[in-house]
This record gives sequence, structure tokens and C-alpha cells, in this order.
Amino acid sequence: MNTDQPGPGAGNAAEREKGTPALQASDTRQTLRDIGSALVVLWWRFFDWLALVSWKTLLIVSLLGLIPASIVKSHQPFLLLVFASVIIKVVAGGKRRAELTASQATKRAETEQLERTVLEARMEALQAQIEPHFLFNTLASIDQLIQTDPPRASRMQQSLIRYLRSAMPQMRDGGRPSLGQQVNLSSAFLEIMAVRMEERLEPVVNVPEGLKSAVFPSMMLQTLVENAIKHGLEPKSAGGRLEINAEIVDGQLAVHVRDNGMGFMPKTDDGVGLANIRERLKALYNGRAELIISVPPEGGTCATIKVPYEIAPPGA
Amino acid sequence: MHAKPAPTAVVADDERLMREQLVGRLKEAWPELMIVGEAGNGREAVAMVQSLEPDIVFLDINMPEMDGIKAARALAGQAHVVFVTAYDQYAISAFDHGAIDYLLKPVESERVALTCRRLRERLTQEPDPMNDLLEQLSQRLGSGGVKPREYMRWVQASVGANIRMIPTSDILFFRAEDKYTRVQTESFEALIRTPIKELIDALDPNEFWQIHRSTVVRVDAVAQVSRNFRGNQMVHVKGCEEKLEVSRSFNHLFKQM
Repeated sequence: MNTDQPGPGAGNAAEREKGTPALQASDTRQTLRDIGSALVVLWWRFFDWLALVSWKTLLIVSLLGLIPASIVKSHQPFLLLVFASVIIKVVAGGKRRAELTASQATKRAETEQLERTVLEARMEALQAQIEPHFLFNTLASIDQLIQTDPPRASRMQQSLIRYLRSAMPQMRDGGRPSLGQQVNLSSAFLEIMAVRMEERLEPVVNVPEGLKSAVFPSMMLQTLVENAIKHGLEPKSAGGRLEINAEIVDGQLAVHVRDNGMGFMPKTDDGVGLANIRERLKALYNGRAELIISVPPEGGTCATIKVPYEIAPPGA
Repeated sequence: MHAKPAPTAVVADDERLMREQLVGRLKEAWPELMIVGEAGNGREAVAMVQSLEPDIVFLDINMPEMDGIKAARALAGQAHVVFVTAYDQYAISAFDHGAIDYLLKPVESERVALTCRRLRERLTQEPDPMNDLLEQLSQRLGSGGVKPREYMRWVQASVGANIRMIPTSDILFFRAEDKYTRVQTESFEALIRTPIKELIDALDPNEFWQIHRSTVVRVDAVAQVSRNFRGNQMVHVKGCEEKLEVSRSFNHLFKQM
């Protein structure tokens, strides 16, 4: 592992080599410089090896080296070299070893960070998918309202446009999404669903103005809202209430989606939705955020996402 | 030719607007068809068909209480079935190959007219119960039928004053303690009343292993296995200090490869 880790000096020398074209330099000077830089590289390789090698191996190598050295009757300089190596290892070895492990750790951390970012991007794209079932049903409802109640059809279409506009560009928008944006998106969705489900859906959105500028990851609130309708309220003939709340708890932003529908089934495989949120929170906040599903005493389901409270930069 | 003078139909959809739309289009395409009832869910639809005995039933696939496919199976052979759906790729591909007619929302006038023409022909015959096709469909849509065994994916536990649903993928291990079973995650622990014996039956054997009479561990959470001074295997779990003993009868789980 130390062979591909030339020291700082070697790297620079090699680069300077490449940088200056040998136009005016004579051949001998060039060769000398080559030998010089090769020696430097060799030295750093030796140094790295020395830093990482165990004492036992060093001892064995020294003893083995002593045999040919004593055959050519030059064991004295060899012993000097061994002695120097021991001193170098004692004095500089620890530092160099730490440097090497540190640089490996940085490399690993960078790869992990990159992997996390890629994973998060892929999962966000997954979560941002607009359900075709929803889209076609909504268009069918608008189609019917055009004939029976044109003003209502127009309002519903506007809600759909608002929903699509905020649900779609999120995948391209580089800025950090705010809770306000996410609440608007879900409000538009709930307006549409309220027209379709009529008295079977009673949406309540209760998010303080002051919290709307807080940073909140995209499409997570929407996934919770869609889940509450799909698993909580739609399967229930009488329907029910769906409530979105937000508050600050111990410096964390907590966003709740509560419904008084069918209640949570312990055997339901939560499919992609909730597992996806959990993975994304891990990737984005590294343990400082969580998704909690609880059962309120009055029944139904309450899903809560807690993330660190941060203000979104203006204009985002 | 017919015993009944005018053909009759029941329309079932959980959204009123969608029922209105279908009823309106049917009136244009087939003025003689009498809509004798409108149902808001699958169960209502079945009850209505059984009491009103219509010739035809239009069933939305996605409905509360009982979905359209289940309702059709319950009504096998009692009425001619036409499915209505906004978007169901599996269902549509199945319909295209089978004898079942279907309508896509928003329903188009020409398409409704075609369905009505087909229905007029089919009314001269007995309704086909379509058992095999519906069985296939319900399996593909995951509604009823024979399903692979479902394992516990969530554990319901009180944490503080709340009842919390803990996903099994967050749980490191379960450990029997007196009358309770302790559920340990990376960030908290909770007590449940379900004994280990019952848990091991309900959990996915690929996800959790029993390693001791009183311990069940999530396989993916195992960091390493060491031996203690008595030579017993000890399981180290990611993100938790506690070591878990493996009893002799479960030693084979952690044999060297």
C-alpha cells in the first residue's frame, strides 16, 4: 500500500519534470535530473516502507541483508544504514504513519460522502415521481367538472398546475427546499383530493408562518400525505381528517402528518415510501434526523419527521 | 327474445364525480340501459348486485372496503362485468389478452359506445364467471389470492407516553427480560410484551436469527463474533456496546467459512 504513495516532495518534482519541456536543456542535464527525481521517489518509498513496516520485519530484513553485506565485507556501512533506519523509524515513523492513515481516511470519507450524495439524488428522484394513478384520476375529475361545474373545474385545474409545478422542478432545482414550498405542494395536492373525495376528506394544514422558511427536504412531506390518504383514509368508507402540523422541539423542526383513518398495519411492508425517507434522512443528516411512526391514543396514524432546524437561504 | 324488457346496470366507484361521468356517457351511448344503482365501495356493489340483479356491473378497480377485482370474484357469474380504471398497467395488459372488457378514466364517448355494442351481444349469453383470469389478476395486483408469507415489518412498542411503530430494519436485537422483551435500536430501547418464542415465528428468518433462548439478533446488525474467556461465542452489534452470548445450540450459525 505504500508503493503508490510517493511523498510530497516526489510528487512536486515529478510534476515540475512534466511541466518544463526539455527544449533548451542538454541531454546530460536531463538525465541527471531524471536520476535525481527517481532517487527522491525511491527515498520516499523507502521512508514510507520504513514508517509502516513492523519492527519484527525490519529485524528480519536487517539480518538477511547482513549476510550478503558480510560476504562483500562491507557489513560496517550496512550496520550504519540499519542503525539510521531505526532512528528514522523512531523519530519520523509515527508522524508519517499517522499522515498516511489520515490521507486514507480522508479518501474513504470523500468516497462515502460522494456515495451518499449519489444515493440521495437517486432516491429523491424516486420519491419525486408523480403517481400516474393520481394524475389520470384528477384529469378525469376535471373532465367531468367541465361539464357540470366549470368554475370548480377551473379551480381544480389550477390546483393541479400548482401541484405539478412544485412537484416537478424540485428534481432540477439545486437550492435547498423550504418547508413552505413543501407545504404548498401538499396543500395543492390536498385541495385536489378534497374535490375528488368530497366529504370523505377533511384536510387541516396548520403550519406557523415563521417556520415556512426552515429547510426541509423535498417530497418527504408529500410522501407522508399520500400514504395517509392511500393507506389511512381512502380504504375507509367514511374517510376522515388529515392534519399537517409543524413545531420546534428541542431545537429540531418536527413536521407531523396525522390521520384518523384505518390505522397502521404492522405487517404492511411500507414499500418504497417510508424506507426511502429513512434512507434519505440518513444520507442527508447522518443520524441527526429521524422518521417516527406512532399510533395516537384516538386511533389512526401519526408520522413525524424531525430534522435539525435551519433557515433556508433567501430566494431558495 | 329477452325475458327482461330493458337491460339494467349498477355502477360502482368511490368518487361521485367518476360515477356521474360514467352514468352520463352510458346514457348517451345506450339510452335504453337503466342504471338501477350506484355504489361507493366494493362491498356495497356486491350487496347491490345481489339484491337488484342487474345484467351488468361497472366496477372501479381501486375502491375502499373491497376492491373491484375482489367484488368481481364475489359476484362470479351473477352479472356481466366491465372494469373501470384510471391507470393499472398490470390490469390493462391482462384485460387486453382476456375476455374482460374495461374502460379507462376519463371515459371517452367512442370507447363507451364500443363497450355497449359488445355488451349487447354478450347479454344474449350467460355471464362468464372468469374465475381463472380474476384469480391471476388479483394475484398480480396483490389483492387476496395466495400470497407469499408476510412477516412482521413493524414492532409496536410504547416509548415514553407514545405507542411507536418501530421498523424491523431499525432494530438491533430483542432480548427477553423477566416478563418483557426488550427491543434495542441504535438510539433507544423499548419494552414489549410479546415473548421471544412468538417473535421468532413472526419475524423474517432471513432478517433475524435466534442466537440464544432469550436473544434474537438482526443479521445485518452483527459487526463481529468473538469468544469470551469461557470459549463462548459473543456477538458484537453495530452501534451498541452490549455483547450478546450465543448458546451452544446456535453455534453453527457463526461457523467459519
